[in-house]
Amino acid sequence: MVRRAADPPHRILYGVIELHRLTKRYGGTTAVDSLSFTVGPGHVTGFLGPNGAGKSTTLRLILGLDACTSGHALINGRPYASLSRPMHEVGALLDASAVHGGRSAYNHLLCLARTNDIGPARVTEVLEQVGLADVGRKRVGGFSLGMKQRLGIAAALLGDPEVLMFDEPVNGLDPDGVRWIRGLMRSLAAEGRTILLSSHLMSEMALTAERIVIVGRGRLIAEATVAELTAAYPSLEDAYMALTASSVQFGAAR
Amino acid sequence: MISQRRPPAEALRTRPSTPRVLRQRPRTRKHSFVGVLASERIKLRSVRSTYLLLVLGVSAVLLGYALAVMAAGMYDNAPTQQRLSARIADLEEVVVIVPQLCMGILGTLAITSEYATGLIRASLTIVPRRWPILAAKSTVVGALGLITGATAVFGTYAVTRLVLGDRFSGAYTGAFAERLPLLITISVSVPVFALLGLGLGALLRSSAGAIAIIVGLVYVIPMIIGNVPEPWSERLGSVMIGALPREITGDTISTSVYGSLLSPAAAAAVLVAYAVLPLLAAAWLMRRRDA
Repeated sequence: MVRRAADPPHRILYGVIELHRLTKRYGGTTAVDSLSFTVGPGHVTGFLGPNGAGKSTTLRLILGLDACTSGHALINGRPYASLSRPMHEVGALLDASAVHGGRSAYNHLLCLARTNDIGPARVTEVLEQVGLADVGRKRVGGFSLGMKQRLGIAAALLGDPEVLMFDEPVNGLDPDGVRWIRGLMRSLAAEGRTILLSSHLMSEMALTAERIVIVGRGRLIAEATVAELTAAYPSLEDAYMALTASSVQFGAAR
Repeated sequence: MISQRRPPAEALRTRPSTPRVLRQRPRTRKHSFVGVLASERIKLRSVRSTYLLLVLGVSAVLLGYALAVMAAGMYDNAPTQQRLSARIADLEEVVVIVPQLCMGILGTLAITSEYATGLIRASLTIVPRRWPILAAKSTVVGALGLITGATAVFGTYAVTRLVLGDRFSGAYTGAFAERLPLLITISVSVPVFALLGLGLGALLRSSAGAIAIIVGLVYVIPMIIGNVPEPWSERLGSVMIGALPREITGDTISTSVYGSLLSPAAAAAVLVAYAVLPLLAAAWLMRRRDA
């Protein structure tokens, strides 16, 4: 509470993710091919594409986990690697099962938080926010996938960041959890945050996202609002199927 | 607290969705190493394997005690003539293999468990400079190694001295101060193993690979070197970690399986190199490698 006095009077959320001709090659294969798009604040941007389209690679490139071959990705006008305490600006959930099973949820979050000078009070706060307060002291190894997703979301929220990226956060959640996540995404967006959400669940995307970015074989296929897509096609799912028909790599004949 | 720091949602919804001016926030505060250090301390403290390895490492004192009791029994049952010529190995040096192995494994697991679970991606994301993670792990694992090593070595010295008394021509009744330098260098070999394990783990990103090398360095390679023809047996035996504590303090013994060619300064440099070189190589690779 004392901290607030030193803070600017109002924190203005203005997060932007910008990709400019982002390219990643592994040997001969091009995972991400000259990808350019911008994700703005105040709404959820859905990130869609068939399996192997390069969605996860793109997220890793934005987060500086993998080095891009050419082009660049900027967060609030700066490369991710130059952020000194990145949890305060960007929160990300890449893989919910990437946790040490022997550690409690509380300790897991606390060891992430400490690196960015975030205290235990905030850890308790996010555990409550995602509904894991009762199991905070339990080992993560016993968690269901849905609980791990909640834990991953809690980790992304620790630094109260204005930019959030979620890779398939709905996987493994029960209907109750799916509805919870929908509400959470919307409310985070309503607070003015910038949200990039990848998912394969079209119906969920139609309910949650306002803008859609579709990639296939590492390239940008479409960047549009959900309203635009549903005006041109019977549903978002039909739009997705039509747009990605030529870039499905691992599909059955149809 | 969150909502108070933010303007009302209505005000934000009216903002253009693609702002022209990027927000400039002064971010002068550097990533604090203290925070990363605290994080690594919690990581080690919050898993069971750490406690298991610490207890196992310190239990070397029990092994030392058992060996001392056994030696005392054999000495007491031996005829007087044999007693006069009976010698005993320095038990600290014998049992230190246990904490060496345990702390080598602790150092390895400190990083490879993160690669195995995928947690490393989260760790590297929130500390983009990456090397502070390795530096913090080195500090924590090195400190634990030193505490464990010193406890095992000095504890073994104490119980052995109590058990043996003036047996073996007073091998354990000498002045403590004379013995102290060797006890210190033997203790220091334990954190060296911890750091070596951490460095190898970070390089190989595999528990099995790194632990195999650690075990090889403690057991297998010294055995092979003992059977290599001279002068290479002596030369190679002089740069094994097991040889370095005695080479640093200068009290080398002829019965050792190791060599004794290095000067104290050279031996100290080799000991430091074992700990530091793999870590430096790992830090360099970590910066460049895709996570």
